[in-house]
Formats: sequence, C-alpha cells, structure tokens
Amino acid sequence: MASKTLLVAQREYVENIRTKTFWIGIFIVPVLIGAAMGVGVLLQKFKEVQRYTVVDLGEEGLAEEAERKFRAADFTALFREIRKQSESGSLQEELRSLAATFEGVEEPEDITGEQQLALLNWTYNQPQAVRDRIEGLSTSQRYEYVDPDELGVEASDPAELRKALTKAVNDGDLFAYFVLGEDPATTLSDFQFICDNQTDDALRRAYQNTLTEIIRAKRIKEAGIRRKVAEHIQERVTFKKKKSTETGEDEDVEDEDVANQWAPIGFVYFLWIAIFSIANLLLTNTVEEKSNRIIEVLLSSVSPAQLMHGKIYGIAFTGMTIIGTWVVFALLAAWLAPSLLGDSGGSLNVLIAAISNTGYLMSFVLYFLGGYLLYAAVLVAIGSVCNTLKEAQNLMQPVMTLLMVPLIAMVFITQEPNGTVAKVLSFIPIYTPFTMMNRAAGPPETWEYIVTSALLVLTIWLTFKAAGKVFRVGVLMTGNPPKLREILGWLWKS
Amino acid sequence: MDLALKLEGVTKRFGAFTAVDDLSLAVPTGCIYGFLGQNGAGKTTTIRMVMSIFRQDQGSIQVLGHSDAADVKDRLGYLPEEKGLYKKMRTAEIVAYFGKLKGMDRATANLKAEELLKQYGLGDWLDKKCEAMSKGMGQKVQILGTIIHDPDLVILDEPFSGLDPVNRDVMRDTILQMKREGRTVIFSTHVMEQAEKLCDEMMMIHKGQLAFEGTVAQIKSGRDQGIRIEYDGDGAVLRQLPGVERVNDDNRAAELFLQPGHDPQDALRWLVDRLTIRSFDVREPSLHEVFVRTVEERDAVVAAAEEAN
Repeated sequence: MASKTLLVAQREYVENIRTKTFWIGIFIVPVLIGAAMGVGVLLQKFKEVQRYTVVDLGEEGLAEEAERKFRAADFTALFREIRKQSESGSLQEELRSLAATFEGVEEPEDITGEQQLALLNWTYNQPQAVRDRIEGLSTSQRYEYVDPDELGVEASDPAELRKALTKAVNDGDLFAYFVLGEDPATTLSDFQFICDNQTDDALRRAYQNTLTEIIRAKRIKEAGIRRKVAEHIQERVTFKKKKSTETGEDEDVEDEDVANQWAPIGFVYFLWIAIFSIANLLLTNTVEEKSNRIIEVLLSSVSPAQLMHGKIYGIAFTGMTIIGTWVVFALLAAWLAPSLLGDSGGSLNVLIAAISNTGYLMSFVLYFLGGYLLYAAVLVAIGSVCNTLKEAQNLMQPVMTLLMVPLIAMVFITQEPNGTVAKVLSFIPIYTPFTMMNRAAGPPETWEYIVTSALLVLTIWLTFKAAGKVFRVGVLMTGNPPKLREILGWLWKS
Repeated sequence: MDLALKLEGVTKRFGAFTAVDDLSLAVPTGCIYGFLGQNGAGKTTTIRMVMSIFRQDQGSIQVLGHSDAADVKDRLGYLPEEKGLYKKMRTAEIVAYFGKLKGMDRATANLKAEELLKQYGLGDWLDKKCEAMSKGMGQKVQILGTIIHDPDLVILDEPFSGLDPVNRDVMRDTILQMKREGRTVIFSTHVMEQAEKLCDEMMMIHKGQLAFEGTVAQIKSGRDQGIRIEYDGDGAVLRQLPGVERVNDDNRAAELFLQPGHDPQDALRWLVDRLTIRSFDVREPSLHEVFVRTVEERDAVVAAAEEAN
C-alpha cells in the first residue's frame, strides 16, 4: 500500500523537476544572493566622487586649515589600515617597511608632510591590485575639494558667490558646499551645508568632525588651557565590544560575530519564501487535479490518504532538492571564496562565512522540512475543497495574514533572540520554524529546541489527520467551496 | 450464478439528501451491464461506492466476491464521467502510471502502455504531452489507462459521450472484446438505443431508487406494444391520429401508442392518407419509451403521495 503513496510521490517529483519554475527556483536564489553581495561591493567601489567646495565668511583661514586636516584624516585611516595589514593579511610583506615609516604616529596631526609624501609615492608604485585595496580606504577618493574658480564661478561678494554655487549644486556640477560662519570663535550657529542629497550624509559628518576638532583646539588655546589637560578632559568613553564564552573568558567581537547575529534574518526570509512557494505547488496541483477531474481516476486506484501523502512527500522531495542545492551552493561559496576573492573579499568573506554556518544551514533544512509539512497539509486541504485557483486564493488569505507575523517580528527577534516575544512565538507551532530559525544566533536553550520541536511534530501529525479528513470529503466536491463551519463539521464527525 | 457485483440495501446520504436509497442489484460475471437513469439519479454515487471512493451508509456491497471493495481495487477499472489527464505528462507515461497505480510492475506497465497506444492508433503520440491531444484522443488514452491492467470488472461512466462514430466503434469493440475475455463491463449511458443494443442486462435508477432491473426482454415485458413507423411528411398530424395516447416523434420516424381498444391497422390506414409511410412495425416498446414512462410513472406516484400529505 505504501508503494502507491511512493508512486504518487514519484510522479509529483518527476513532473515538478521537469518544470522551468523548478530550475529557476534552484538557481535564481543563489544567483540573486551572489549578485546582491557583488553589487554591494561594486557600488562601494564605483561610488561617484563627491565634489564640494567651501565658502568661508570668516577671516581666520578656517577653510584651508580644515582642508589640510581633512586630508590628514585620510592618511590616518590609511596608516591605521597599513599598520593592521602589516601585522596580518596578504599585503604583509609590502607593508612592513612602510609601517616602519609611521613609527610613533598616533594622531592625525602627528603625520608629517614628509610621511604623507612617502605614503603617496609608495602607493603609486604599487601594482594596480594593491592600489585598489589601499585607495579604497582613502576619503580623498570619495570627496574632492573644488575651488570655486575651477567651476567658472565669478563673484564679487559672498552673497553672489553663494547664489552661483547653489545653482551649481542644482545643476549637478557640485555635490554640496559648506558655508563657514563669520566669527567661529564666538558663534557656530551660522554654519551651513547646501546639498540636494538628503540620504548620503557622510561628507557632512566627516567635515563637521574635522571642523569641530579645529575650533575646539583654537578655543582651548584661547582659554589658555594646556593641551594635555584639554585632551584629558575631552577624552571619550569607548567601550570595547566583547562577548562571552563558556569558559568565562571574554573575547573581542569581530565582524564575523556581527554578521552571525544578523544572518538568521536572511535565513528566515528564505525559509518563508521557500515554504510558501513550495507548499503552493501542492495547492495549485491539487486544484488542477480536481478541476480536470483526474482525481476520480486516481481515487479508484489509491485511497485519499495515499494520494494526499504521496503528493505531500513528492513535493517535499522537490523542495528538499531545491533547498539541498542552495545549501551546496552556500558551502561551495564558503570553500571557494577565500581562494577566489582573497583578502580583497573583506566583508564579503565575512558574509559568506555567516551564510555557510553549519548550524544555520542545518536549522534551515530541518525547519524547512517541519514548516513545509505543516503548511503543506493546510494547503493541500485548502486545495482539496476548491475548484479554481481563485477560490483557493480567497481561502489562502487568512492563512497568509497569520503568516505575516514572523516577517513583521523578524528584526525585533533578531535584536532580542531570547526575549519574551521570541520565546512566546517559538511555542506557537505555526511560528516555530520561523522563530527558532530567527533565534538561531541566540541561541535558544536545548530544552526549548526539544519542546518546540515536539510541539511542532505533534502539530504536524494533528494537521495531517485533519487535512486527511478534509481532503477525503473535499476532493470530490464540486460547486462552491464549503464554509469553514462545514469543514469543522467534517473534522468532528469522522 | 456467479456475481461480479452485488448490492444489498445500499443507502448513501449527503446531509439531508438521500442520493441512493435502499438499492439492491446483481451483476453476473462476464456480462455487459447498463446503468440507466436521469442526470442526478444516483448512478455516479453508486459507481463511486462500488469503487470504494465513497462508503455506503447502509447495506452491503460485494465486488468480485469481496465484501470490501478496497481489497480488490487493483482488479477494477474505472473510467469516470468527467475525463481528465495530466496535461504535462506524456501519453505513454500516463497510461503506464495508471497501470502502476493498479499494482503492475514498472517494466510491464511501460511495455503494455506502448503496446496499447500503438494498437489504438496512437503510436505517433507516445512521447507527446497530453495537452496536445484532441478530446477524442484524450478519451482513448483514458480508456487505455482504465484497461491496461486487464481488470476483471470495468466500470465506464458515459464512455461514448464526446466520441465521433469511428471512435464509438472502437469503444464498442473494446467493450465486446472484454466480454469475450470473460470480464464484466458496467457502463452508464443516456443513449437508450446503445444500451438496448449492447447490454445483456441493465438497471434503471430513479431518484436514488431502483426502478427496474433485468434483461431487455424482462424489462419490456408487460409494457404496451407500440407502433413504430418511418415516414416523410409533416409529423404534426401524428398527434391527431384517432385513439393515440403517446407520440415519440423523431421527424422522420416515430413511435406511437394507442389507447386500449384501438386497432393498429386502422391507424395505418389513417396514416397512409396523410403521410408517406416507409415502414410500419408493431412491437414491444423501445427502451427510450420505457425509460420516459418509468420517469413519468414514478414522478406521478411521488406527486400523488405529496398531495395526500
């Protein structure tokens, strides 16, 4: 008898893997993820240079000083990176000698013009690949100061200059310009930033920080405070991020840890899509079998239970094939990425490491299976009482509404993986797969895994029972789909 | 007598509606048996119970000597009234699939499917998808799916509907072939001429109840004889024939029934004056007439009972 279930399952599987949708499903997701990652990196790389200028209304040469310091800040970042890379990383050899030139340099103002020149010379003598890596760090690659004269702006007074520059911003010749106040020593309230891009705030923030430091230094000097005292007073509290370990030692938080904490969101998202698109195959082909009446022939050979189970398992195999392929892709990516991308992978390597985390992948596969079986039973029951896809979609609506919850709670649960909301949702079987996947970075305690899984399995079993009853009656029904009350009646009666 | 199918007091209700009401009948092994009845009379429900798709509420059903039809599912073949195929499956695959579902092993089913399709003139269609086929071809494929496993009892629900005359002959020959091989064929139809010619025995179900059962001769015995004519002319005059009770006029042929005491010879004389009579025959009523009369009689009984209430 079981062999008939297997025959039905096998037919479903073969029919599905022959469709284009199946192959699109298998390949589109890895391609999309890869593309999304690649595009992110490329976007960073090809970000347009932001041209800016400064209108200095004061008379203390604040603009020039700021520009000098702004450049110096670039070198600071560069030299920090050089120092880090000279200790580890693929450019170790090349950078070690250079790092020596910066011996004793701690603060931006400590970098001398000589050192800047040395750095620039060294950079220009490097092969392109190395330069790409180094220059990507430099703010000077992203922001470019343009003298108003270069823009062809001629103005006799500041008001006119500003008008011309505003027009240049409007025309797109200039990304933005800054207006520095007349008397920075006493008031800072008339500083302005004229820009049409309200989303990319990096230039303003970087320039603002630089100016703040300059003005602060001036004021400290004017007040007659010794520099060391001032530095002492101004020192900021910075927490070094650490995380706990089992042994009681703490460890530094790396980029990998952050990526690991956020990765479950991606998994939940794909879990959701996979469960629904795959369980939906079941709904559509049940409706198809019903609407073209093949169901009656089938039922003359197999029992409704065999048919239903066969269909659910057949499509489960289809889904597992897709999911399995995704997992293989993720593992392949993790295996190949270091040699393909090298260190230039940077954040990409971190991301790939997060998505190929074995624990996540295992949760993903198992929760896919659990979630699929649960929803497959619901959808096959819905499909069995409908004669057209339209009717089925109407009946699907309440189900979909219920299912928006894990998506809405997704970010929240990621931030608080062991919070009350996360815990409560874990114990509601229809949300267990999504919530537990979402909490994987927590991670939840072992007993939670055991209890929620037991609840899930029990619910799947009950849902299969109920779906079997609905399927048996519904599948031969024609005419309007039954009311919910009637369906409940069938469950009760038999 | 060896029975392929035996129903005793079978009742099936859907909510308040009784689809089949205390139905008893016996289908001998190796005969061609007709299920007659109006649309919605309960034929399909009866068939579905026999196929163990539905379970009866009361009564017993014996199929091929087993009290539970589910035990012998693999020895039954069923062609439902509404015929459908998987659109995306290939012709040979689907026929073989039906065979496998009936317990045939893979290799035998594949081989037999190909053989049957070739034998029925669909050799060029083995690898084509079902959606590409015409309705008639699709129906052929379905019938092959029904008989691929050499079932001992085949139930065909409206097997002739939608078929052209050539394919009707193919279908008829298939049914006859099965009878020759000692299998039992039950089929339902609305075409009385066909049932009359093809069936060894038949039954009629009306509003869920058995109206009659037996051989054609048994069913017709005791019914008034009728006059069958073939004619040319305006058939409207038929209704003016003195002493006429009922007229089944088919435009160029008709079946007439006279009130008791009227002589068919007088009728012939009267008709010859008004129409060109090509043939004239006095004989037992057609199955069509029996069917229509049965519906009328039974409805009249029900109406009278309701009035009495």
